[in-house]
Amino acid sequence: MSNHSPESDDALGARLRTELRRYTAPAYLRGSVGEAAEPPRVRPAWFAPSLAAAAMALVLGLVWIQFLPRILPADPTERLVRSVVAEHTRALMWGARRPEVVPTALPWLTQESGIGLTKFFVGDDRLMFVGAEPVYLEGRRGMALYYRDGDGHLVTYIVLPAPGLPIPESRRVQIQNRWRPALMSDGGFSAWVWRQGDLACFIVSDMVSESDVEHFKDYFARLRVSTEPVAAN
Amino acid sequence: MASDDFHRAALEHLDALYNFAMYLTRNPPEADDLVQETYLRAFRFSHRFQPGTHLRAWLFQILRNTFLTFYRLRERESALAEDGVPAWDAPMFHDAPEESSGAVEAHTDLERALRRLPEEFRTVLLLAEVEGMALEDVARVLACPVGTVKSRIFRAKERLRGLLRDYTKE
Repeated sequence: MSNHSPESDDALGARLRTELRRYTAPAYLRGSVGEAAEPPRVRPAWFAPSLAAAAMALVLGLVWIQFLPRILPADPTERLVRSVVAEHTRALMWGARRPEVVPTALPWLTQESGIGLTKFFVGDDRLMFVGAEPVYLEGRRGMALYYRDGDGHLVTYIVLPAPGLPIPESRRVQIQNRWRPALMSDGGFSAWVWRQGDLACFIVSDMVSESDVEHFKDYFARLRVSTEPVAAN
Repeated sequence: MASDDFHRAALEHLDALYNFAMYLTRNPPEADDLVQETYLRAFRFSHRFQPGTHLRAWLFQILRNTFLTFYRLRERESALAEDGVPAWDAPMFHDAPEESSGAVEAHTDLERALRRLPEEFRTVLLLAEVEGMALEDVARVLACPVGTVKSRIFRAKERLRGLLRDYTKE
């Protein structure tokens, strides 16, 4: 050992033992290390099968819930809107049952639907006419005209006889200072609803976003100006 | 050793391990992390511990190895980034770097001098002198022969005395 140094090895060792601060583990560290020492909780044997059964029941419930009958709205307008939207959805998925070219088939359409058209919208650069067909909704015969816009949206115009059908005031929207149809929605679709005499008119599309609604207003104006339905009977 | 007994015995050394971790890292949050990681490893690999051997030395060995793996590596990486010296060229017995932000301040010349020692010298003094471990246990922690431990203790004290003399002159 080094005899030439002013402090002997033993003395230096003693200084290290006595003069150095001694750090103590903080309580939270003691707690967290203690928790790590605890053995993991063993789940009971029935836990996994029960969880699997519950998950399966949930999946089955979600599958079957769509087959449950939907509660029909009490309001006649809402009920008609729901039927009109259902017809639009059907056309969207499978197309018209028997699309006819208007005006060639107009006499037949008028005879079948009980709705005549003194003038109708044949399409333009924005909306392309797809076809027309008679429909039967909520016990009423009517007529549907289908259009498709440049973005691929299907736009369905439906006319049904509905004398005195109430149009909800709170849903009315002013368009071009000329018309005030009601904008209603059902199942993710938007529908313009208004009355022309004893006929109820609907225009349905999936245009629900703010910018889409502006286009949808424009489509209403185009159809409203150019289409004049009348009761044939 | 039963699992509960092992955990209980291991937890008795918490303060000593924390003290050692503080002198290695000089930073309380890092000391916390180091001790937690040490215990996690010890509990995970408790089946490798041979009953009858020195549990304390085994825990200190895990802590030091963890420190060397994570903290020393980071220290060398930062050194490489600053001066461009590759890690494998860094001297084995390099002096400890100056205190970084967040480090606990040294109160005495002895603490300051100890902090300036290379990790290999600091560790051997902490284990042998402060913790009072037998040379055989220190050798196990450092994974080196007992002769090497003796030599390192001698050299560490020489270096420590030199630093203390410098502080006295200041």
